[in-house]
Amino acid sequence: MHFAIRYLTEYRYDGPVTDNLNALRVTPATTAIQRVDDFGVRVDPQARLHQHLDYYGTSVIEFGIAKPHDHLSIDVRARVATSAPPNPPEGSWVAAEGDGYRGRAIEFLLPYEGEPDDLRVDELVGLVRADTPLGTLERVVQVIPDRFEYRAGVTYVGSKVEDLLEAGAGVCQDFAHLALVLLRRNGIAARYVSGYLFAPPEGSGEGDSAEVETHAWLEALVPPGEDGGEPLWVGIDPTNRCLAGEHYVKIGHGRHYRDVPPIKGVYRGTATAKLDASVRMHRTDAAGARV
Amino acid sequence: MAFYDEVFTPSGGPRPHTEALAGALTQLGREQLADAGRRRDAIFMQQGITFDAGGVGGDDSNGPVRDRPFPLDLVPRVIPAAEWTQIKRGLAQRIRALDRFVDDVYHGREIVHDGVVPWELIVSRPAFAREAHGIRPPGGVYCHVSGCDLVRDADGTWKVLEDNVRTPSGISYVLENRVAMLRLLPRLFDDYRVRPVDHYPALLANALRQVAPTEGEEEATVVVWTPGPFNSAYFEHTFLARQMGVELVEASDLVVRDAACYIRTTNGLQRVHAIYRRIDDDFMDPLEFRPDSLLGVPGLMRAYRAGTVAIVNAVGTGVADDKAIYHYVPEMIRYYLSEEPILANVTTYLMADGEQRRHVLDRLHEMVVKPTSESGGKGVFIGPAAGEEELARQADIVRREPERWIAQELVQLSTCPTASPDGSLAPRHVDLRPFAVFGEDIHIVPGGLTRVALREGSMIVNSSQGGGSKDTWVLEDDGDGFTERGRVAADSWARPRMPDLRTGDWTGQQQQQQQQR
Amino acid sequence: MLARIAHELYWVGRSLSRAEHTARLLDGVFHADLQGRAADAGSTRLSWEALLAIMGADRGSGEASMPARDEVISLLTLDPSDPASVLVCVTGAREGARRVRDVFSAEMWEAINTFHLGLLRRDMSAALRSGPYSLYAYVRERCALFWGVTARTMLRDEARAFLEAGAAIEAGDMVLRMLRVALPTEEEAEPSEADPRDGQAVALLQAMGGFQAFRRAIPAPPKASLVGSFLLYERAYPDSVAHSVDALHAALTAADSSYRSSAPVLRLSRLMADLDFRSRSVEGAGPLAQTLGPVQRELELVDGDIAMRYFGGASAPVARLATA
Repeated sequence: MHFAIRYLTEYRYDGPVTDNLNALRVTPATTAIQRVDDFGVRVDPQARLHQHLDYYGTSVIEFGIAKPHDHLSIDVRARVATSAPPNPPEGSWVAAEGDGYRGRAIEFLLPYEGEPDDLRVDELVGLVRADTPLGTLERVVQVIPDRFEYRAGVTYVGSKVEDLLEAGAGVCQDFAHLALVLLRRNGIAARYVSGYLFAPPEGSGEGDSAEVETHAWLEALVPPGEDGGEPLWVGIDPTNRCLAGEHYVKIGHGRHYRDVPPIKGVYRGTATAKLDASVRMHRTDAAGARV
Repeated sequence: MAFYDEVFTPSGGPRPHTEALAGALTQLGREQLADAGRRRDAIFMQQGITFDAGGVGGDDSNGPVRDRPFPLDLVPRVIPAAEWTQIKRGLAQRIRALDRFVDDVYHGREIVHDGVVPWELIVSRPAFAREAHGIRPPGGVYCHVSGCDLVRDADGTWKVLEDNVRTPSGISYVLENRVAMLRLLPRLFDDYRVRPVDHYPALLANALRQVAPTEGEEEATVVVWTPGPFNSAYFEHTFLARQMGVELVEASDLVVRDAACYIRTTNGLQRVHAIYRRIDDDFMDPLEFRPDSLLGVPGLMRAYRAGTVAIVNAVGTGVADDKAIYHYVPEMIRYYLSEEPILANVTTYLMADGEQRRHVLDRLHEMVVKPTSESGGKGVFIGPAAGEEELARQADIVRREPERWIAQELVQLSTCPTASPDGSLAPRHVDLRPFAVFGEDIHIVPGGLTRVALREGSMIVNSSQGGGSKDTWVLEDDGDGFTERGRVAADSWARPRMPDLRTGDWTGQQQQQQQQR
Repeated sequence: MLARIAHELYWVGRSLSRAEHTARLLDGVFHADLQGRAADAGSTRLSWEALLAIMGADRGSGEASMPARDEVISLLTLDPSDPASVLVCVTGAREGARRVRDVFSAEMWEAINTFHLGLLRRDMSAALRSGPYSLYAYVRERCALFWGVTARTMLRDEARAFLEAGAAIEAGDMVLRMLRVALPTEEEAEPSEADPRDGQAVALLQAMGGFQAFRRAIPAPPKASLVGSFLLYERAYPDSVAHSVDALHAALTAADSSYRSSAPVLRLSRLMADLDFRSRSVEGAGPLAQTLGPVQRELELVDGDIAMRYFGGASAPVARLATA
């Protein structure tokens, strides 16, 4: 699928601020199933952009605005082509215990600091255990939305898994964090993925254009089947009860949200900011236009 | 239990290099030692050379400051030149290997690929800094400042107990201790030629300038970055800044514009080339570390990545002084340097390893158990000092999170005569923290901070837990290092070579007139 | 004012300044000497031998006696018969002060008298036993007290100008002496690379109390040549030769209603300009050591000019020494 993405963020400050420094992780990744045809960021007030790849290979764009200003807009545009991911392998639990698997995945197997010590989590860990790792993935994407309601405003960007358990509801970020814990506890390496999801509202008819938000899902490392081969990172989305497919545009991954926040910034000044953010995705290929 | 004593042999007589010291101490007597102790406290309080219970001997840490005069013991610890040479070589070797390790971890990871250190261990270290991945610091050095802790076991062998390549503190006390000893008990120096220590700030300043990326254009601007007056090592931060003649800055004094770091001055922004930071990685740049923290200098890592500023020590060095990594340091030395380690490790067991863990838990009452990522004696569990209940509790904790713990055989720290407030002497356990500076080369200040457990039998030397310190004397190399002095040679008493100084000089005139009377 | 009074004031200033510098120097050498030292030919030499030279002490060459370090210290500190000792300087200052009590404030007199009495009560052998540090600290503190009280209580008039002139010329002279003895004389002896451990140069700075000032002013390691030019040229440092010359010039200008025709003032103006020129062209002015001699000779000539113009040709007071 081909997408044109526009991610527009506007901050309005109720007074002048200075030294506004930001790090953006918004650039679509280039992977085996994803290609970036065009990408650009415009910042107003103007600033010099610095780009580098972080530890996880995510492209980071940094800029700073020194002089006093009362608004900041970050306008990201990208054109991306995605293809359907290959079918996940059917590796066994034994295959997930081998040194080859652990060696590749160890960072995403280890518990992340501050993981919950909670009986409810223990119960879920047991509940999602299936005959195979892939089966477990499939259970995870069902169990989480079964147990928890998708509702914005209950949790916030810094919420922990416990907050989701407490509230019984949360957003994609919380679902992804819980899924990471359930998979890692079962010995499956899992990483947090940040990106864009093309999800036109149901029944809108149009289908080639959608107002969305940045999305969070995860990737789990599924061991190879008996016919050999390499373990494969498989995208799953516990918010939408599915494996990630062509509609998913990945930015980057990490152990946790903190490794791939789309925008992280600080500024000097006591003014408070009003934030407006929108992600607009548009299918630009013929297939999209036909739907 | 037999301990190695630094001054006396098991038969009771002094060692060759401590004979003169033992004699001088006897001559001084209790009264004078006690008196010197009182003068010491007065001087330290007056000069504000104080410490805070959370402070010296560990990493910089945040906590309330409670000033007490720094407990300097008046009996120095003497290290003969030959012994020091060995220590110095061993430390330089170790620091070089640690430095290579840090570089490797954040780049090629060859030591992992070659199966020497497990990747799992490295990535599970809290101090492993993903933010430093791929960054080569200006000058190519990571561990500019280090302070490894050495101990002597029962047969007198020097061993490394802990590495510290983050922000080791205590050097200011090394210098202040020497100044105080020269003032309080100058007589003790008469029979020795003791190597000075006061050049440390110059060494540090030199190293900072050597790694500062000035592109050959201007004089390097170097600063010391302190978390502020509430930090327990604040005295040391001000001391070093003053001694080096550089600015002591806090985070709000620093600002990053584009990809360079500046200090805010009354003349506007001034470029900074090297930062000696006494602050943890986590609190350096809120854009890169800990999103929940607004401490630090936003954008600093960008400047660092661009190579426009040297951060000392480099970001991410903490992965090398982790107590679980410590276990692998001898292997590291062999791997990177193709040399045999000169200084041995204390036998260490990794609790993450099932077999080693079982071995330790069976003998927990004989072992010392330490959290892998703490320093300054925090969280250390000493088996022989624990009761049944404590042993059981600790075993539980270790079983629950084995990767957070290591265990070591209890080292029988050497002893050194130490003065009590009434001036009487008794043996107390000591360790040694020498300080090294790595710029273009590794320099190690002769001696270091000898820490002493002031309580009888105690092996806890941390000043936060009732430890004191001693002036540490490394003797000059020539001859046997201790000579008869205090007398000026005959020829130096001869008429000074000052051909025309006294012509028309009023002193001479005055003197002649008096001589006529 | 009376030439005699001016003369006394001038020498009170000189004596106190000398007492303080001597004490600082003894303290510095004592502590530098206790530790091993760098055997670098190019480093600063601050030793007992050097100290004797600085103080112009004359023990005659090749004497049979082999005096100990402690004897040197005793002589130069509390020996009432050694003209270079701290005690004799303070005694001289106190005698002078007694003669000018009418122009001194009561507090100034008290400060100087207490100082003298305190010094007489000090026991040299006790000081040597426990280390002379506290004794030298006492001298420093008392001198600071006197100058502090003076700044607060003495009218800024001609009398004060002569008191300060004496202190300034003595400070300049003492620092020049230290530099002449302590600095390497041969330029080639300067180490090619900055030795971060020129412990003796550091000792010299610490003795002068100027270590931090140097550190803040000069962003380089304290090697001999840098310390030398700092102590000679750095006008912002209050114990540099250049600052002392400035202060002397200012004092004489204040004291002399027709200073434009004053020989010492004119000579000082030339000296200031000369120092300024040399400091700007440190490279071109030749080795530092070769600058010291001419500067010190100029100061001697100024001293002579001052005596001629203001004291009717009287040189150092002699009468008060009889009472010492």
